[in-house]
Amino acid sequence: MSEREVLLSTRNLTKEYQLKNSFGVRKKQVVHAVSGVSLEIYKGETLSLVGESGCGKSTLGRMMMRLIEPTDGHILFEGKDITAFSEKQMNEMYKKIQMIFQDPYASLDPRMKVRNLIGEPLVTHRLYPTREATTERVKELMHMVGIRPEFLDRYPHQFSGGQRQRIGIARALALNPKLIVCDEPVSALDVSIQSQILNLLKDLQQEFDLTYLFISHDLGVVHYISDRICVMFLGKVCEIGETEEIYRSPMHPYTRFLLQAVPSMDPKKRQKREQILTGEIPSAVNPPSGCRFRTRCPYGREVCGEREPEMREIEGRKVACHFPLGL
Amino acid sequence: MEEKMLDIENLKTTFYTREGQVHAVDGVSLHIRGGESVGIVGESGCGKSMTAMSVMGLLKKPGKVDGGQILFEGRDLRAMTPVERRKILGNQISMIFQEPMTSLNPVTTVGKQVREALLLHNREMTRAEAKRQVIQAFELVGIPDASKRYGEYPHQLSGGLRQRVMIAMAMACGPRLLIADEPTTALDVTIEAQILHLMKQLQEEKGTAVMMITHNLGVVAQFCTRLYVMYAGKVMESGTVKEIFGHVCHPYTDGLMRSVPDMESRERLYNIRGMVPNMLHLPKGCRFCPRCQYSGPRCFEEEPELYEAAPGHFVRCFLFESEGRR
Repeated sequence: MSEREVLLSTRNLTKEYQLKNSFGVRKKQVVHAVSGVSLEIYKGETLSLVGESGCGKSTLGRMMMRLIEPTDGHILFEGKDITAFSEKQMNEMYKKIQMIFQDPYASLDPRMKVRNLIGEPLVTHRLYPTREATTERVKELMHMVGIRPEFLDRYPHQFSGGQRQRIGIARALALNPKLIVCDEPVSALDVSIQSQILNLLKDLQQEFDLTYLFISHDLGVVHYISDRICVMFLGKVCEIGETEEIYRSPMHPYTRFLLQAVPSMDPKKRQKREQILTGEIPSAVNPPSGCRFRTRCPYGREVCGEREPEMREIEGRKVACHFPLGL
Repeated sequence: MEEKMLDIENLKTTFYTREGQVHAVDGVSLHIRGGESVGIVGESGCGKSMTAMSVMGLLKKPGKVDGGQILFEGRDLRAMTPVERRKILGNQISMIFQEPMTSLNPVTTVGKQVREALLLHNREMTRAEAKRQVIQAFELVGIPDASKRYGEYPHQLSGGLRQRVMIAMAMACGPRLLIADEPTTALDVTIEAQILHLMKQLQEEKGTAVMMITHNLGVVAQFCTRLYVMYAGKVMESGTVKEIFGHVCHPYTDGLMRSVPDMESRERLYNIRGMVPNMLHLPKGCRFCPRCQYSGPRCFEEEPELYEAAPGHFVRCFLFESEGRR
């Protein structure tokens, strides 16, 4: 593992939001959206951020792109600390980091033609000297993502959800990035379209040696696409490790419940489902003391409320739990 | 075999739009027996929600039911007077929706909303008695601090709690049939598991039949006993969950099942080529044939009927025309 090249890493990345009252005056309360996350993304891999709504996975993904400014901590891309980069420097960085968004209806400007939607990053960065050369590249990109190049002058509303997502992908690919942050790219799509997009993402990764940070709440999708996964709960990382290993034997109780909660496609497995996680996700304004999961955790003991579990390395995996399962 | 509680026969629901007629539900026949849970599966636009809306009489213009029968316990809902129909809808048949926030009134407390539903169908009930029953219903669906929650507004509740309120409202009058339109799609997986568990529990205790409309095959596999697979306004395959998940027949259902990434294998996902047809310009012949890998010349000309591939297992595909082929 250690010899693998790290493309992006975060050190103690934190985002807190100050709550305000209706007059805009700051209150004492703070939302702890992401708290001290340190992780590495290796070159050529797909790392997935998994968790339920409000766990901070999207905030973390956007912080890595500096779309949200972190409150604390650092982001290193290819060894360089980009946390304090100026806007100009960041613009250069966006040649290397790109993003695909969840909602293909909201993320494309309805008044722009496909030609301009995909070509915009090329023009902004002045990559091609002539309009003809830009158009050629746009056509090439359209071909890569499976949209007929004849549709160059169509508008987004003339495409279906799946095709729009393809346009979004083409736009992200335009600058030959190294890392693509995919924020729930298939959540809004129908099953049959979802599988098309997932396969496309896999093919593109192979072809262009891409690295993905894949954000999703769908554990089936995550299992299919990722090499490693990072499970988050209430702004903290619970467990990071190889996908297969975590799915086979989750060490953090939360990971286990999450995996068990997914309705299986096999009707025979109906009886096998054991426990259902009770309770709701606690508020990020006043997270529980100690381990944030302890209020829902059936294995919680006294220490869990007193001390926050540190990230431990066990068998090539990182787990933040006082009492990891299967040990 | 128990009698059919809901029996939909050749239902046709059409939207009269400026661009032309859209046959959203095109001759759908299905039935639900007492206490049964039946899944209706399909992708967006296949007509699964419109079937439910037609039953509930909730279609909005330009939509209109213009053919078929909807028999509830032997009586045709379409032939009833509005007064008669109202006695059944919301009372004996009730419905829960996907997005609990948009189906609750934001300016009234959740308790009052459920009480209103109760009072509407029980004219002689006093308000105090209704309130008591609502709190009881809240407790039944697992809302903690039920009497405190009674006076809260929808925005004060989480998504899971809101869905529980919706279920409490739907169950308040003791319906015989509950239509659930994607009840867990907007919820997180651990909350989804809680809600499904609750629905199953209520179903077993009260003997309520459930029509579960969903795009999630996992939910069907775990929750239902029978299912109908719909595509472009038609039922493509129907049968028991055991039978269909064990021996899937229709190429569409098969493709759909193989498109879902599961948690066991990481083999390349199957892709159904192309996309759902435009409902204004449906292909001639079988509606699925342009996307089907088995389609032959006949599929483009003639429309297949539902053939019985195995006892109780119906498939709309020429591959299963000769009896018993599977």
